[in-house]
Amino acid sequence: MKMKLSKCLAAILVIGLMAGMISGCGGDTGNKVTVGSKNFTENIIVGEILAQLIEAKTDIKVERKLNLGGTLVAWEALKKGDLDLYPDYTGTGLMAILKKEVMHDSDQVYDLVQKEYNELYQIKWLEPFGFNNTYTTAVTREMAEQHNLVKTSDLKPYAKDLIFCAEQEFFNRDDGYDGFVKTYGLSFKDTKAIETNLKYEAVGQNKVDVIDAFTTDGELITYDMVILEDDKAFFPPYFCAPVVRMDTLEKHPELEEVLNLLAGQISDTEMQQLNYQVKEQKQDVAEVAAKFLQEKGLI
Amino acid sequence: MDGILMLTAEHLVLSAIGVGLALLVGIPLAILITRNQTIAGFTMAVTDVLQTIPSMALLAALMLYLGLGNTTLVVTLMLYSLLPIVRNTYTGITGIDKGLLEAGEGMGMTRWQLLRMVQIPIAFPVILAGIRVAMVTAIGIATIGVLIGAGGLGAPIWRGMQIMDNAMILSGAIPAALIAIACDIGLNRLENAVTPRGLKVSSLARS
Repeated sequence: MKMKLSKCLAAILVIGLMAGMISGCGGDTGNKVTVGSKNFTENIIVGEILAQLIEAKTDIKVERKLNLGGTLVAWEALKKGDLDLYPDYTGTGLMAILKKEVMHDSDQVYDLVQKEYNELYQIKWLEPFGFNNTYTTAVTREMAEQHNLVKTSDLKPYAKDLIFCAEQEFFNRDDGYDGFVKTYGLSFKDTKAIETNLKYEAVGQNKVDVIDAFTTDGELITYDMVILEDDKAFFPPYFCAPVVRMDTLEKHPELEEVLNLLAGQISDTEMQQLNYQVKEQKQDVAEVAAKFLQEKGLI
Repeated sequence: MDGILMLTAEHLVLSAIGVGLALLVGIPLAILITRNQTIAGFTMAVTDVLQTIPSMALLAALMLYLGLGNTTLVVTLMLYSLLPIVRNTYTGITGIDKGLLEAGEGMGMTRWQLLRMVQIPIAFPVILAGIRVAMVTAIGIATIGVLIGAGGLGAPIWRGMQIMDNAMILSGAIPAALIAIACDIGLNRLENAVTPRGLKVSSLARS
């Protein structure tokens, strides 16, 4: 019995030492940047694109933390210096992080988050990639062609015969359903609150007519949907751009220029395609990112 | 497949370290508090409360201080493992027949000898049962470590959930379940093996 006890104590000691070793690892921060992303497909793809671009264009080593549990985790890690950069959205910066009221002008939002991030946190927004992942409304291509729908305003004469379907969240948000129908003067025949994945199923089977969507959803391709232009600019802008610590930019002066190679390079439809390839076609994120960068001639 | 094996090994090691640290802290703590009922009550209350904090919240909160990565996960696992380990060690030691302790004292044992030769050996199966619970729980909780940048089997599970790829989810979930079962069985065997024969006989005799 005595023997067994001492063996057990020894095992505990070894485990403790291993803990020390594991936490001791990764201390080398000399020529390395850590790229993060939040835990949804689009952010992970963009994070991977940023990581591969840095690896291809500089001799900086990249560590990836691409599945962080939401804005809070990514943001706190960036502030703390555990991350050097991650892709975020201007609307998220404005409302979730700076806790400001909703604003609709995309340049104003970008300038404001830039100024506040610089002053308060010494963090910089680089050039946006181009896509704006905000709410939109979408209809099937069939319906769009039948009624000649291009803009959201075009829905007005038909709304009384149409069923609008969205996630519960859209009906609860300040920048959601109530403001939307008021701004466009729409009154739908009926509304349905439903889970995201079922929403696309429902519209695919013509059970509902108009849905809310994110402009870059890959499912828009799967279900052959047409996005209606937000012609009254009701939905707040969520342009995506890298947010980077200023001390990282000072330490690696080449980084800013390299990351800005992506400025304006990913349109809404291109981001839809990338999301579609990963989420709907189950392609590998790293391969999709590499293919994208090659097609753009960036690597 | 190699990737999954690596992740499984990493998952097991991270869980074991978390539980191991909880043993280093928890067992001495439990032995100390057997000497004072008030402090014992307080300590149990603290470990109880720790257990009720949702794991994602605890991870996120610790991340603010410890940063991203394995360290934060290991500390989280340690905190969750404290309850079963402290409680079982405490219960195991305080539940010992007073007569046995008196017999030890009568033989001239010091407090330390009593602890080492009587209390811990008798309580050991109960302590091991606590370690077993802690280990299985830790393996489960470690799957969300990926959300604060730690390693392990969480990565395929969460990626699979995002892209609705059942095969990918299972490629993480099945190994996690298997190592949990393996630990449970292994520690259960050990528990039987270390139960002093005398104790088994006496419990049989009593029942």
